[in-house]
Amino acid sequence: MPSQHFSVALFLAIRSIQRGNRFTFFLTVMIMGLVFVNLVFLPSIISGVVVNFNSQSINYNYGNLVIEPRENEVYISGVSEVKQKISQIPGISGSSPRFSAGATYHYHDNQLSGQITGFNPRYEQEVTLIHTKMKDGDFLAEGDTDSIVLGTSLAGNIDERLDQVDSLGGVTTGDSIDVTFSNGVRRTLRVKGIIESGVYSVDRTAFITLKEIESVYGLSDTATILLVKLDGDGQEDKYKRILMEYGIAERIRTYQEKGLGFVNDAIRSFEIINAISTMVSLVIAIVVIFIVIFINTINKRRQIGILKAIGINKNIIVYSYIIQVFIIASCGILLGLLFSSGLVLYLTYKPLMFPGGAVLPVVEAGSIIRSIMSLALVSLISGFIPSWKTANEPILDAIRGN
Amino acid sequence: MIEVLDVTRVYQMGLVEVQALRGVRCSIQQGEFVGIMGPSGSGKSTLLHILGLLDSPTSGTVTIDGTDVGLLKEQEKSEFRLNHLGYVFQDYALVPELSVRENVVLPAMARGAPPDTYLKESEEILRQVGLGHRIDHRQYELSGGEQQRVAIARALINRPGILFADEPCANLDSNTSRTILNLFRELNEKYGQTIIMVTHEEWHEEFMCRVLYMKDGLIDGEKACKMRENKN
Ligand SMILES: Nc1ncnc2c1ncn2[C@@H]1O[C@H](COP(=O)(O)OP(=O)(O)OP(=O)(O)O)[C@@H](O)[C@H]1O
Ligand SMILES: [Mg+2]
Repeated sequence: MPSQHFSVALFLAIRSIQRGNRFTFFLTVMIMGLVFVNLVFLPSIISGVVVNFNSQSINYNYGNLVIEPRENEVYISGVSEVKQKISQIPGISGSSPRFSAGATYHYHDNQLSGQITGFNPRYEQEVTLIHTKMKDGDFLAEGDTDSIVLGTSLAGNIDERLDQVDSLGGVTTGDSIDVTFSNGVRRTLRVKGIIESGVYSVDRTAFITLKEIESVYGLSDTATILLVKLDGDGQEDKYKRILMEYGIAERIRTYQEKGLGFVNDAIRSFEIINAISTMVSLVIAIVVIFIVIFINTINKRRQIGILKAIGINKNIIVYSYIIQVFIIASCGILLGLLFSSGLVLYLTYKPLMFPGGAVLPVVEAGSIIRSIMSLALVSLISGFIPSWKTANEPILDAIRGN
Repeated sequence: MIEVLDVTRVYQMGLVEVQALRGVRCSIQQGEFVGIMGPSGSGKSTLLHILGLLDSPTSGTVTIDGTDVGLLKEQEKSEFRLNHLGYVFQDYALVPELSVRENVVLPAMARGAPPDTYLKESEEILRQVGLGHRIDHRQYELSGGEQQRVAIARALINRPGILFADEPCANLDSNTSRTILNLFRELNEKYGQTIIMVTHEEWHEEFMCRVLYMKDGLIDGEKACKMRENKN
């Protein structure tokens, strides 16, 4: 294209936006901006859910890595030796053996079945944040016997209507409850504290010391899993290899692998919703740009015909519309970025509540770039088609207007 | 010089053929101010469009300054119009977002002329058409006659060999028409501008050198106008 074609087109486009219909311009930019927000927003919530889920998995359920019993075995035996081996590895900040079993809780007339987990309170604090989430009372200490801490939704409220799920009906610190373990042993334990972590699996369970549960089962130096915490997140696969190299023969899984089934289903559903919403917003963008340019060129049909008659190359006319659309899309994207940042800021201070806690929107560069590209692309195409159609109309048809 | 040889133009309207031109033959010299007159539907606009490369004849040839314009491709025609021809239509079709001067310089910009040249020229031409004081105004601030004069200035900016005008005064009252026609006459007499103009009005004849009368798609007669005869 000769350079003067571009500069004339640019000139026409700028004047047209400067002196054309302001209202249409702002409205179109506004719609583009909102479409952009829509393109960015839902993925940011999905990312937020993923980030949230990951940090909960790490901080409350699994640590970064989980060591599980060897194949065909129920327990990790000689767990202190395994822990010893692990603690030599640089980059590992802690590990906590846990022993989980099924149990039935009895409190007054209420009876509930669930899980009970034993851990060493000191080791557990190196790995998870459960100890920071005491709603009432105290966390377990190393030498505690006959003590239990309960998750808040297990403990429940005296007023049943406040419970979201079945509970023991309002256990409080200092109460005693009976626990029947899966091997039939029944013990009366004093409630030392109530945990409220916001993580369902934690708030639904109860914790005692590892010593206690070992004595119930008549085992020692045994665990069902061993949680491993790394200095930083994101290197799980690397440390999984390192642990194997250090001679850990037990099964090693990353927290992602542990959480896979559940979160993947949720994310897949989210992504289908997102794909639909993306498509709808892009179609809106296409239709809006198309209609705006279409009506504009229809209104200017005669003028375009005469410009072509006096020798203005039809490409100049097409370019000038494409440049206009480009400017509209750019302003729309900028506005959309502004809106999105505002929304993200707002939702950072007033986060959305999901099952499993507050979700902060996480805007990823990839999703921003994808949104910019797709919006720019659909705008250009839907601006190009009507302007090209009008600019290619035979001159005399355009001038006569029939 | 324009040479028109046996030009026909047939419109196909479904099964019906409309013979808009049936073999027009004429020649127009450089520096002439030629009028085309005749009843409605006689083919005046059709002929003007063909002469101005906006339409192609069904048969016959048009030669402008030695170029057989029937052989040009679409883009070449567009270039040819930009560089050698100027047009004024009944409706002015200015770009409303541009100022008077910006409208006028548009064809020069599209041609790639240097800005200081066309800016100077545009001022000169706008003064010529009597709009020296309206350079930075916008279309909505101008009367119909002024708008038509902007269109004329735009047609002249690339110094065309031939200026075509299809009923340029049809939307104007007779006083305004007179100023436009005076302007055409002045361009023709002072600068030797070749002008071909379609018109309905008998009284316009006094401004022209020669009139071609059309009837049913043919040139039915012509007359050299008194004004020029007196002069010569
Ligand atoms: N696009 C077209 N399709 C079909 N017929 C057409 C077309 N354009 C013109 N004609 C016919 O060709 C003939 C000549 O039309 P033209 O426009 O040249 O007439 P004119 O002399 O300019 O008339 P007017 O004074 O009304 O402008 C008319 O019969 C008209 O109906
Ligand atoms: Mg006509």
